Amino acid sequence: MKNRGLTVLLVGILLFSVAVSGCIGGETTSTPQYEGKIALVYDVGGRGDLSFNDMAYLGASKAAKDFNLELKEVQSNSESDYLPNLRSLAQKGDYDLIIAVGFMMEDAVKQVAEEFPDQKFAIVDGYIPDKPNVVSIIFKENEGSALIGALAGLIAANDGKDKVGAVLGVEIPPLYKFEGGYMFGVAWAEDYYKQKTGKDVDIKVLYTYTGAFNDPAKGKTAAQAQLGQGAWVIYQIAGATGLGVFDAVYEYLQSQGKDMGPPFAVGVDSAQDWIKPGVIIASMMKRVDVGVYKAVESVVKGTWKGGVMELGLKEDGVGVSSIDDVKEMFNSLPEDAKEQKLKELGLNSEDELFAKLEETRNQVPDWIWQAVSELEEKIKSGEIKVPMATTKDQIEAIRNAETWQEMEELAKEWESS
Amino acid sequence: MRVDIKGFTKPLVESLVAIVIGILVGAIILAFSGYSPAEAYIALFNGALGSKYGLAMTLSSATPIILTALTFGIGARTGLFNIGGEGTVYFGAIMAIILTNLWGNVLMGLFGGILAGMAWMAIPAILKVLRGVNEVVSTIMLNWMAYFIALYIVLQKIPNPEDPNKTLAVPVSARFPIIMKGTELSWAFAISVIAALITYYILWHTELGYELRVSGYNERAARYGGINPKKAIIWSFLLGGIMSGLAGATEVMGRPPSYAISQGMANIYGYGFDGIGVSLVGRNHPLGIIFSGIFFGMLRAGATSMQIEAGVPLEMVKVVQGVIVVTIAIPGLLDLLKKVVRR
Repeated sequence: MKNRGLTVLLVGILLFSVAVSGCIGGETTSTPQYEGKIALVYDVGGRGDLSFNDMAYLGASKAAKDFNLELKEVQSNSESDYLPNLRSLAQKGDYDLIIAVGFMMEDAVKQVAEEFPDQKFAIVDGYIPDKPNVVSIIFKENEGSALIGALAGLIAANDGKDKVGAVLGVEIPPLYKFEGGYMFGVAWAEDYYKQKTGKDVDIKVLYTYTGAFNDPAKGKTAAQAQLGQGAWVIYQIAGATGLGVFDAVYEYLQSQGKDMGPPFAVGVDSAQDWIKPGVIIASMMKRVDVGVYKAVESVVKGTWKGGVMELGLKEDGVGVSSIDDVKEMFNSLPEDAKEQKLKELGLNSEDELFAKLEETRNQVPDWIWQAVSELEEKIKSGEIKVPMATTKDQIEAIRNAETWQEMEELAKEWESS
Repeated sequence: MRVDIKGFTKPLVESLVAIVIGILVGAIILAFSGYSPAEAYIALFNGALGSKYGLAMTLSSATPIILTALTFGIGARTGLFNIGGEGTVYFGAIMAIILTNLWGNVLMGLFGGILAGMAWMAIPAILKVLRGVNEVVSTIMLNWMAYFIALYIVLQKIPNPEDPNKTLAVPVSARFPIIMKGTELSWAFAISVIAALITYYILWHTELGYELRVSGYNERAARYGGINPKKAIIWSFLLGGIMSGLAGATEVMGRPPSYAISQGMANIYGYGFDGIGVSLVGRNHPLGIIFSGIFFGMLRAGATSMQIEAGVPLEMVKVVQGVIVVTIAIPGLLDLLKKVVRR
């Protein structure tokens, strides 16, 4: 008898589920009014990575709202999902643009773009220059990093220090753009400081490739070693590994009985300043959202052009984070995540957090911030060219160059060839 | 070759019941999460079976997980809980890439997969036979070791100089040809089916297979009957190693677009673990594994269209898969259902 009761219960649940499914099905099937469709294929990192995928979503959803488009999001369970995800979307034939997030999808986009020549694709950070139906959204990380280098170099020079650091992930060519730009900025700072004060400074850049993008422990060890050698600002270019850099600088400050730098750390990709206020002086932002938005806009407005869309300082594709950028990033977090973070920092409100960020920035004199803006303007206007290293030979050439003028020569040389 | 039809019926019914329950429970979860189960399942089955492309994707998705399921299945038949398939896949893939780059043909790749699989699985076998180390512990640990050793090899030893996020690619001459253009279905699928058939033949139609199975039923009885359980353990691991090694090799030799291993093993990660579920649903029987592998391949292939057509997130598909595995793992519930069926 007991068993029969259970059976009845089970059958009841099943029937209920069918009934419920009927009701809910009716609600969701109504199609909203739209003028077009775009699709976003995430890489395995997926939503919630506080970086690439989230920023791409930010840009795509904003574009979808502005241009009245339907946005379809597709996740990837493993890398072997990239090709089927892109193919299935292309087979539908009704997407105005399919956006692939991340350079890992390069091979898959290449193949599907060949199979479906009438379908438009965008790939973030990938490089597919020769297909009329693919736009490759890439960033001039060298320009953004040059500003970080100038900031770091001037902070060090101003405090009478002679070393700054960079902790990087796996040694792959995309990171040379960051490293080279950073070195350029530091060299520019030496020159600027000399002209301003008349004092000669020679600031060395310590750089460590940790071999990992997801290992905070390695980032911490590398940063501790650099701090030990006297690095005064450390730029992290290592994804999650870089979180260890923040920890290392934080602990170093604690050991000195200080709540605020210098020494400082610098964040990367998104405005990471909120992660460790007092420790992170600024971040080199890579505006994936801007790139994605522009790609969608070009489709909607009929200005589509396949090829490479290169976004630098001038196009707002990269830049040094402002307090407002940090606010925007922090506010895009879920409420409970925000609360938890504030608790972890021992702060009572968001305002306290932002006040603390202001105070952090005030540790650096105004003239340094102005110098950084000056360099920014000069790069934007084209007066100064930042070298973009994409091979081992090129980064070696930058590492061996003495002055920023020498590096600029390299930039011009590579550009013309 | 005599096939015992009667012996298949019961487990087949049980597995089918589990699948149906899994699908229904999945429907409840979908409904409560605000998605339409009907729409979702139509998208799933339509995407996986409704077109030539879908069918091809189903079979190609089944290819690696049939092989890794055989690793677990052979172990289970010998009384071993061998979950080392995951790590073995990495080495199979790596060895296939190395050997095909030296000698560009398919046979070298398959040989590499087999060799690497046997070598890696020999470790837990030796630990078990000589020191009595529990294979659950050793294979879990070995999976992690495999991950990091493989990561090192991928990044440092065989990177592609033009694209350092990947290893060297398998040369064109050593790739499995694609059966249907515009899909991912290659002749690697045939390899996995043949492997399952050979496994069946070995287990049920050879003396060695008999010894493996008797050791699995009852080690003491096996010893009493003159069978050396240590020999059975070693063979079970080695055969299992061959299967997962082949899974890795066929994956890099047969899956477009890159024919290489990506940084972090992002394109071959997880097949070993998925194989455990496939084997359980296939009742650890090689022939059952072919069908359950295709069923899981279908879920995998349909996951894309479930997302695109019905807007159901990928996590939901995984929930359905998980529910099916759990359902089949609850013998009490099955007994209950058997009673219901009998009435």
